[in-house]
Amino acid sequence: PAGEMGLEPLFQAWSYFRRRKFRECADVCSQLLERPPGEQILYFLLTLIQAAWNLKTRALTEMVYVDEIDMDQEGIADIILDENAIAQVARPGTSLKLPGTSQGGGPSPAVRPVTQSGRPITGFVRPSTQSGRPSTMEQAIRTPRTALTARPITSASGGYVRPGTASMLTNPDGPFINLSRLNLTKYAQKPKLAKALFEYIFHHENDIKNALDLAALATEYAQFKDWWWKVQIGKCYYRLGLYREAEKQFKSALKQQDMVDTILYLAKVYLRLDQPVTALNLFKQGLERFPGEVTLICGIARIYEEMNNISTAAEYYKDVLKQDNTHVEAIACIGSNHFYSDQPEIALRFYRRLLQMGVYNCQLFNNLGLCCFYAQQYDMTLSSFERALFLAENEEETADVWYNLGHVAVGIGDLNLAYQCFKLTLVNNNDYAEAYNNLAVLEMRKGHTEQARALLQTASSLAPHMYEPHFNVAILSEKVGDLQRSYTAAQKSEEAFPGHVDTQQLLKQLKEHFAML
Amino acid sequence: MSLFKARDWWSTILGEKEEFDQGCLCVADVDNSGSGQDKVIVGSYKGYLRIFNPHPVKPGDEVQPEDLLLEVLLREPILQVEVGKFVSGTEGLHLAVLHCRKLCVYAVSGTQGNVEHGNQYQIKLMYEHNLQRTACNMTYGPFGGVKGRDFICIQSMDGMLMLFEQESYAFGRFLPGFLLPGPLAYSSRTDSFITVSSCQQVESYKYQVLAFATDADERQDTEQQKLSSGKRLAVDWVLNIGEQALDICIVSFNQGVSSVFVLGERNFFCLKDNGQIRFMKKLDYSPSCFVPYCSVREGTINTLIANHSKMLNVYQDVTLKWATQLPCIPVSVKVANFQDLKGVIVTLSDDGHLQCSYLGTDPSLFQAPKVDSREINYEEMNAEMKELQKIIREATKTQDILPESEKQRDVTVTAEVSPDLDEESQAIDSEVKAGAVPSVTVKITIQSRVTAQKPSLAVCVQAPLAVTCDQFVFDDLEPDSSETVVLSVFLKESCSPPELEGTCMVSYNIPTGIPRVSQCNFSLPLKLVCIPAQPSKAAGHKLTIDTNKPPISFVTIFPDFVDPSEGDQANALGFQFLTGSKTTLLASKTSQRYRIQSDQLEDLWLVTKELIHRLEEHFKKQNCKDFACTFSGSIPLQEYFELIDRHFELRLNAEKYQELLSERAVQFRAIERRLLTRFKDKTPAPLQHLDTLLEGTFREV
Repeated sequence: PAGEMGLEPLFQAWSYFRRRKFRECADVCSQLLERPPGEQILYFLLTLIQAAWNLKTRALTEMVYVDEIDMDQEGIADIILDENAIAQVARPGTSLKLPGTSQGGGPSPAVRPVTQSGRPITGFVRPSTQSGRPSTMEQAIRTPRTALTARPITSASGGYVRPGTASMLTNPDGPFINLSRLNLTKYAQKPKLAKALFEYIFHHENDIKNALDLAALATEYAQFKDWWWKVQIGKCYYRLGLYREAEKQFKSALKQQDMVDTILYLAKVYLRLDQPVTALNLFKQGLERFPGEVTLICGIARIYEEMNNISTAAEYYKDVLKQDNTHVEAIACIGSNHFYSDQPEIALRFYRRLLQMGVYNCQLFNNLGLCCFYAQQYDMTLSSFERALFLAENEEETADVWYNLGHVAVGIGDLNLAYQCFKLTLVNNNDYAEAYNNLAVLEMRKGHTEQARALLQTASSLAPHMYEPHFNVAILSEKVGDLQRSYTAAQKSEEAFPGHVDTQQLLKQLKEHFAML
Repeated sequence: MSLFKARDWWSTILGEKEEFDQGCLCVADVDNSGSGQDKVIVGSYKGYLRIFNPHPVKPGDEVQPEDLLLEVLLREPILQVEVGKFVSGTEGLHLAVLHCRKLCVYAVSGTQGNVEHGNQYQIKLMYEHNLQRTACNMTYGPFGGVKGRDFICIQSMDGMLMLFEQESYAFGRFLPGFLLPGPLAYSSRTDSFITVSSCQQVESYKYQVLAFATDADERQDTEQQKLSSGKRLAVDWVLNIGEQALDICIVSFNQGVSSVFVLGERNFFCLKDNGQIRFMKKLDYSPSCFVPYCSVREGTINTLIANHSKMLNVYQDVTLKWATQLPCIPVSVKVANFQDLKGVIVTLSDDGHLQCSYLGTDPSLFQAPKVDSREINYEEMNAEMKELQKIIREATKTQDILPESEKQRDVTVTAEVSPDLDEESQAIDSEVKAGAVPSVTVKITIQSRVTAQKPSLAVCVQAPLAVTCDQFVFDDLEPDSSETVVLSVFLKESCSPPELEGTCMVSYNIPTGIPRVSQCNFSLPLKLVCIPAQPSKAAGHKLTIDTNKPPISFVTIFPDFVDPSEGDQANALGFQFLTGSKTTLLASKTSQRYRIQSDQLEDLWLVTKELIHRLEEHFKKQNCKDFACTFSGSIPLQEYFELIDRHFELRLNAEKYQELLSERAVQFRAIERRLLTRFKDKTPAPLQHLDTLLEGTFREV
């Protein structure tokens, strides 16, 4: 349609870009860039080509753009070769690496399940909440790799998988820009082209090394006065795992110009360096500069949540809602917090709000179903789960729904149904440790000791961080008189959950037994 | 996502397949009616100019024909429409229409008819300017502080600002460092133009500076110098925002303070007059357009921001006050006052959906699609349920985690050990010192009654023994077919085996995908590990077995070891293991006893086991059921314990070595890490023999 009514092609492309019709924009630019060979390039043509090139670069970048702040995945190699470890034994409340360094206010694992790293399950799935760090390579390799527990990602730095990777978009004629032939020095001296080019290399090509080279040259050309380049260098360093260097760049950029993004990047570096308190302070300073900035408050809430300080986290999530009452993450987190603190009715209201706002997925109905059940609204429970099953996109989600249905069945005393539900869970997701555990309890009730034991063993090997299977093994062994095994299992259970009263009682009882012998 | 949706007050769809963008919508009392009633002016890239006067009888009414005041085809794409005091000698509002190469200013007037639909509207061209360069966008205002008049500034696609003082062309200036046009706005308070350049900077140029700079037109021949023209056209202030901007608005609602609002691609900025950030907000969506519209509370400014997820957000500074859903993605949003309604939100989408709406607590509750509810026939359901439960019960009975019973085997494995040793030994890589290591052939047959997918056979024998090949993979087996493999077993390591048995196992998938396993055992002949030898009388360890039957001649029970020429009187039999040690078997002539003796305790076992096994076989053949073997002497526990101790010691050693290995591995990685930091350092430091250490550790590993 361009030119049909006499619209200038470059203007058309520019307009497409502003309307985020990137595909069309790139096509128009490609037409503009197709020049007959040998054509003499006059000055005005050169600017036109540069403009079209710049626009196309930006369009291609925008097609695959993902906010770098949300991108985070820590590979196994990064964890092991992390030379940034500062203190091996952190003081309580200053580190995310040690689970359970809560300063009160955190619920016990008996009430709220924890992830493998010992942190309470949060109400919102986000990339990289710092996973439990294994202390040695051996442990890292031995950590069970199930689909849902923190699976060590076997990737080195930089091997990021992006949604909608660039390779899908490259045209058959080969890549738009051939990076190896690019004279970076030349481009670095043209700031108007360099910025677009950098974003292209960084986001579209994902070639961090070249991006860093370009950024380094450009910042030098700008006489280190452009904070934007410093942030970009910091981003590159972060990707390459050079956190201290990244920190320097971000700090220097912040000195020149306060920006929300820079604060977020710097906080991310601190979190990676395991300095949550520094990150918190940074966020709070940032809030003084940018009062009411949602992303900063949300960052604080996330850190508190990871540090097991749930009540403070909830306060900050409420602050988030005061600024932006459509914030899905905040609503979901407050909802799950209420759910785990025994207020299913209130949680139900939050989840219903999410539903009304148009969140329509399996997880939400799953949560709704559970809340309804615990709030004794039985009529809604089953239909919620029915919808959840209907909406489940993969087998893991189906497994979750069946597992919860199993819970409901246990709750209403229909053990047969519960048994079948848990079985279905396992059919859908073969390494669902919780289902194994619950199935074992049902088998125990039926008197099938051997089966129960086998199931419990599976459960505990799949999820060593759960105390329930260990405790159940202890009970089971104690019943059949295998005190030795019972004792070791109880010890494991105590390790997983030091405050569990029943385990302590059992241990005490066993010790008395042994003393008598 | 929001609970609410914008309430439709009046809406229409313009033309067919027409394109619209940011500049195409303008709201003003363009016909100078004086009633304060705004008209909606829309231009399209197809060249249509339309003016609407929405006045629905009740909200959501259909468009009345008389709402459309005017529709003309201007033949050229309309890039932007603006309303201002563009004609000299009058303060009346006129309409400026920007085409690619032309700027036209029209007067819009209406003549009252007898009835409402009799009103007539027409436009009259007041003046037009042909442009030397392709236009991109424009802004207007009282440049230079002129009273009661609006001048126009057009930005061209190649970065020239062209200024028109109403009917006359004033001057043109190139912006320095220009690549692509950005949004352009005029601030009357500071008398300057503000734009966002390709360097991702907000730049402000004083009108005065523009006016006195060297005229760009005169210097067209030396355009090369344009890039370095910074000294000619000095910028007032610059703010690096690090992203491209979609739009700029400059407003001053209360006296003395004016704010520059910049809508970036990812952030929303509010700047002071001097280019400092007053506040900014990170947007977690892609914005499409915005308009700051009023100040409800002292010191704050309310802004509408629309985004590409069809939402319209109302912010008071940075606080989200309201969020509402729109039917489409707007490219332009304005706030208009109509006769009976103030503050109507006018939005235009890029395919021509023009909507006037207002906020309201009209809940647009998300309606989850209905799960198709079938008519429930309880009787049928009950019957089906019973049926299913029966199946489940059956299923749980037969198959569970515990292995299923043996009788219904779909695939059977049988192993047949040939009675004789191989004529030519198949042993490979045997560590046994003895000259010839014998081997025995085992023939394994798999028979399948059903289709077995991906069957694979594994044969396993205990450690010192070995097989020539322990893994076989077959193609899928047809029903009632069979596969046979032949392999040989031999003694590999130089010690006596604890048992002479092996297992073979077949794993396969049945067509439904369930994996299954079937297995069988086979026992190997004693001859595989020992050869007949001269009996020896003296020995360190002895074992005596009592039986309740008269002794049997060794010729009968050990035919493969006794030389028949010796006659059946032989009551002593010697075995020599391939490893070298000897065991002697003695049968008492008078009592019902056998004695096994050897220099090594562990060698007694195999022979004893074989003896008992063969005796049992022998008596079974004679239908003698009450045969029994007993051992009356004291068990040689002492020696046994010694062996256990030794084994334990070995285990401890193994553990120690493993620990050592992991320690070295940790050390290795630590050195690697140190090296990494060293190399990463900007100032190259000596390696301090870390490399030697690394190599050393590597060798130790």
